[in-house]
Amino acid sequence: MALMWSELSVLFRRRRTIVMLAALALIPVLVAVAVRISSAGSSGRGPAFINQIAGNGLFVSLVALTICIPLFLPLTVGVVAGDTIAGEASLGTLRYLLVSPAGRIRMLVVKYIAAIVFTAAATVVIVVAGIVVGAILFPVGPVTLLSGGTISIGESVVRALLIASYVTVSLLGLSAIGVFISTLTDVPVGAMAATVVISIVAQVADSLPQLDWLHPWLFSHYWLNFADLLRQPIEWSSFGSNALLQLGYVVVFGALAYGRFSSKDVLS
Amino acid sequence: MTQWKRWIPAGVASVVVAGVAIAVPLSANATAALPSKTAEQVIALVTNSSVTAFSGTVQQSSNLGLPSLPAGASSSLGSSSTATPGATASTGGSGSTSSADISSALELLTGSHTARVYVDGPTNVRVQVLDQLAERDVIRGGTDLWAYDSSKQTAVHSTLPAKSDSTATPTPTDTATPDQLAQKFLDAVDPSTGVAVGGDVTVDGRSAYDLVLTPATTDSLVGNVSIAVDSATGLPLQVEVTAKGASDPAFSSELTGLSLDTPSADLFSFTPPAGTAVTEKTLSAPDPSATADSKAKAAAAAKPVVTGTGWSSIVELPAASGSDAAALTSNPLVAQLTTPVTGGRLLSTTLVNVLLTTDGRVFAGSVSAEQLEAAAAATPAAQ
Repeated sequence: MALMWSELSVLFRRRRTIVMLAALALIPVLVAVAVRISSAGSSGRGPAFINQIAGNGLFVSLVALTICIPLFLPLTVGVVAGDTIAGEASLGTLRYLLVSPAGRIRMLVVKYIAAIVFTAAATVVIVVAGIVVGAILFPVGPVTLLSGGTISIGESVVRALLIASYVTVSLLGLSAIGVFISTLTDVPVGAMAATVVISIVAQVADSLPQLDWLHPWLFSHYWLNFADLLRQPIEWSSFGSNALLQLGYVVVFGALAYGRFSSKDVLS
Repeated sequence: MTQWKRWIPAGVASVVVAGVAIAVPLSANATAALPSKTAEQVIALVTNSSVTAFSGTVQQSSNLGLPSLPAGASSSLGSSSTATPGATASTGGSGSTSSADISSALELLTGSHTARVYVDGPTNVRVQVLDQLAERDVIRGGTDLWAYDSSKQTAVHSTLPAKSDSTATPTPTDTATPDQLAQKFLDAVDPSTGVAVGGDVTVDGRSAYDLVLTPATTDSLVGNVSIAVDSATGLPLQVEVTAKGASDPAFSSELTGLSLDTPSADLFSFTPPAGTAVTEKTLSAPDPSATADSKAKAAAAAKPVVTGTGWSSIVELPAASGSDAAALTSNPLVAQLTTPVTGGRLLSTTLVNVLLTTDGRVFAGSVSAEQLEAAAAATPAAQ
């Protein structure tokens, strides 16, 4: 437990982590300011929900999430997850960590949980920044769901948090892949880049109709289905299939990372 | 020495995950033993089905050998008349233009769709087509009919005549539930159709009879139509259409997650949310004040002409207004999908061939292209 806390405090006191979270928080601000300045409704263009921002500031966080999911969130998750083991190895601190009686499995688990906590923090930062900015610049009122019904502000905040948890779960698989790649190398930048590239390759493959047999197995397949939580009644099936899929990735790549990390000669 | 053992969990985990991923769909397809029934008994099971309230998810997929269109491409085809996806087609379609018909038909022909269906009797129906980050709804509550499109933020409202209790349930034109499809196919069963009961099947955990309709004619492109009828309720759960000579279905519609509970009543009432552009649409139902002459004219102008019978029948849509037809054939998407043939352009799929003639008429049928061309040549342009 102490290991967990020290890991988290190291992670969140790093300037890099803070800068990444700030950059993510900037995206809803940019979206809101851009819509506020242009204000002329350009219907039918841009990401989903963007037409609704001017009428209801709560949609800022949804637009920001839609923008962040394909690139910015995988990028930051790739940086954190890719750095977990390789970063310690390149700094030469990995062998000192392993001298402590914590054991390699615990070490790996703590590193992975820290990466997940960062993912959750990143999504919540986007959602909260979106709500705050939206409330400052635009009127706030009951939210229109995709099905045409409306829900109160309180319930829409609950749905926004549900969406944040959906997005966090969506990125579990990518984090596991990042931690595994991180055990393969002593060069953290390589692990980060490889993780981000994998997430992009998965999304490209997901958009090719020729590969449709592969689509349900790609960890990025359900990323944009967070909108199923905005239907009335809520469509839970994508939440379930997404969680199951991510669990599969976590199990396989967690076991692979264990195999690699526990048998690795730590020389640096 | 023990290094390799560290990799055991990785191997075991991969095998277990792969095993679960493969075994779960397989066990769902395990066949169940049902008391054997004749084809007539299965059809009677469908017609006597007492299910009036249910909800579920319809998965529809089409694999007709066409490139799948990017989402929204097909809806941009029909110029302005596509704003009313459900209302026109579900209420007799006498007012719909051929342009709208074709764009919705194109959407039906490509890709897959998921829709949630809520039914409580014939007059309370809600269909939600689940698109990514968007949704299209058709809601019928009593005599009110609403069509709502979340991405365009538009709603269309129309009032159905009070006595039309038994009219067909409205759906967005690109998705039909298996029971609606099955009803259409069963209505069309005639001496030109061979009806048989295949082996028992399981659809989403429910055991079902497999009713196989086979066209007797050799002209049709349809190999067979397979309808899975739920053994407990008589509700058709799955419809698959297989092209002649193909092994995989070219079109399938499956009802999963079936619940026989009555859906919540507030699903069937709809209030357009703020910021929605609402269009009031009067249905082109027979108008008692119109003269018989004008009614006949209107019917002749818009009514499709059917030639041939049964599975090899050909539907002819008369020429739309000239500009409409020109816009359609000059549309780059249509140009890309069709091939030039004598007398027009041909859209060829594994199940259906569609001929757009140069004078703006549309011939469609589940027959070979040559037969369509012959039909187009045989009938003069009805101008």
